[in-house]
Amino acid sequence: MKIGVTKYPGTNNEQDVLRALSELNVKGILVKQYENKPLDDFDALIIAGGFSYGDYLRPGALAAQSPMMEELQHFVDSGRFVIGVCNGFQILCETKILPGVLTTNTSTKFISKWIYLKSENSNSPLLRNTNGKVLRLPIAHFDGRYYDKEKEIELLKSKNQVAFQYCDENGDITLESNPNGSVNNIAGITNSRGNVLGLMPHPERASFEYLGSKDGIQIFENLLEEIKC
Amino acid sequence: MVVYSGKAKDVIEVDEDSVKIVFRDSISAFDGIKKEEITDKGKINCLISTKLFEILNDYGFETHFIKKLTDTELMCKRVEILPVEVVCRNYSAGSLCKRYGLNKGIEFDVPLIEFFVKDDELHDPLITSDVAIVLGMIEKKEAILLEAITRAVNETLRKIFESISLILVDFKLEFGKTSNGRIVIADEISADTMRLWEKESGEIKDKDRYRQNLGDVIIHYKDIQERLEQIKSLPPLHLKSSVRVIIKLKESVLDPAGEVTLRSLKRKEFKNIEDVRVGKSSFLLFSETPSFALQEKIEKISRDILSNPLIENHSYEIYFGSDKLQV
Ligand SMILES: Nc1ncnc2c1ncn2[C@@H]1O[C@H](COP(=O)(O)OP(=O)(O)O)[C@@H](O)[C@H]1O
Ligand SMILES: [Mg+2]
Repeated sequence: MKIGVTKYPGTNNEQDVLRALSELNVKGILVKQYENKPLDDFDALIIAGGFSYGDYLRPGALAAQSPMMEELQHFVDSGRFVIGVCNGFQILCETKILPGVLTTNTSTKFISKWIYLKSENSNSPLLRNTNGKVLRLPIAHFDGRYYDKEKEIELLKSKNQVAFQYCDENGDITLESNPNGSVNNIAGITNSRGNVLGLMPHPERASFEYLGSKDGIQIFENLLEEIKC
Repeated sequence: MVVYSGKAKDVIEVDEDSVKIVFRDSISAFDGIKKEEITDKGKINCLISTKLFEILNDYGFETHFIKKLTDTELMCKRVEILPVEVVCRNYSAGSLCKRYGLNKGIEFDVPLIEFFVKDDELHDPLITSDVAIVLGMIEKKEAILLEAITRAVNETLRKIFESISLILVDFKLEFGKTSNGRIVIADEISADTMRLWEKESGEIKDKDRYRQNLGDVIIHYKDIQERLEQIKSLPPLHLKSSVRVIIKLKESVLDPAGEVTLRSLKRKEFKNIEDVRVGKSSFLLFSETPSFALQEKIEKISRDILSNPLIENHSYEIYFGSDKLQV
């Protein structure tokens, strides 16, 4: 099983992702942008978070122009799994593999805190066993406000592509529980096929009890399960 | 089939995309009031045009010129000629002197660009780009591109003529749109469409000889053409284009940075401030001449990389040279 974990200049989450994978007895493979490793060698790819290329221009915009990302559409079309966390989600939107865009938080502040998430109605195998549950995960971003045109949001909803919404402790999706101003409290989405997941919260930082939550590990477990079968 | 017969040339349709332009010996001035036939004038102007178009094509300009068919015929891309022509002046002469009461021969630090309506009945009046845009003759983007291209052509031809001891005083360009919407330099670039003075003596070498009854028109035209033929290799000119790209958030998208700025401005003594939107600008420098192809490239860069069209709009302006980047 070969799971690639991307490393761009300016990203800083790849070690956390590798650690979460090793907790599940899988050794992830670091894919450095400048090594030009062919993506075809991998069974799945995790685009780790951070600030690729210093978030210059727009978060994810320059990473989206890299040779690796040019191959990504083909990789996705082949049905293999891709998870983009935080900056990884921003990259997936900039490559247009996922719809929409992540833009500046309404507070104009960098937000680093624990939030609650609810997964509903998604048909992606990456979200198995999360449906209806309230998960506790951390966020750490400046540009996490998910935006798309109303028509596109309706489409996302109707096609069951909204993976996660910010909610309160009780699982109620409220204005107060929306940390960054995302439309419809959207925290994560999938593509229509369900093999690509992008989310702003960090499941890898919620994969150990000693970090305060283990709610995130489920997503990686789902990924491994899918690759096995 | 002759699609157009003008004062000096005939345009003959070859196929959907190309025309044959035939240079006649007719010469005229003052909107056709004064006219005559001068033996070999068509041929000489055709040869001068050929040479100059070949030079411009070599430097990366987009022109309508495809190839020379005979000494009086050119194969060109068929275009729809834009209704404004562009004049570039390095020295005062002709209608500019008359219009503003200027002496002839004043050198301009920055070459002057003027637009004229191509309409003999109206006597080709001067037009501002604002009016040309409002009247729907050209788009704003086109006006900016035409100016940039004309300035680059000026820089190029000025150097070329300098190398054969001639001063390029001024010239006129016509532009056309090809069937797929590309803007190219069209018509002719010849002794009929520019002013050239002998470097040492200041002697007039161009159509002013005819306008002012100085005689020996064809002798001087021939001299220009022969000197141009002597040019064997083109000097490196390092033509550059600079571009300013402005990215703005769409009206429908919340701009947190703008809102915060607005609030703090309102807190201070700045009254009547209603809205602040914070955008981005980028300055790009290209080592190529302004052209429609460059505009396409910039469009792609602005749309696909510098902006995210979902939330941002872009606009850009193309200039000749690198000066405009030094803001
Ligand atoms: N590539 C081209 N395709 C179509 N028309 C052209 C092209 N190049 C020049 N023309 C037009 O053909 C005419 C050339 O003939 P000319 O004798 O100069 O006419 P005019 O009397 O209008 O100046 C001009 O009107 C010019 O705008
Ligand atoms: Mg003409």
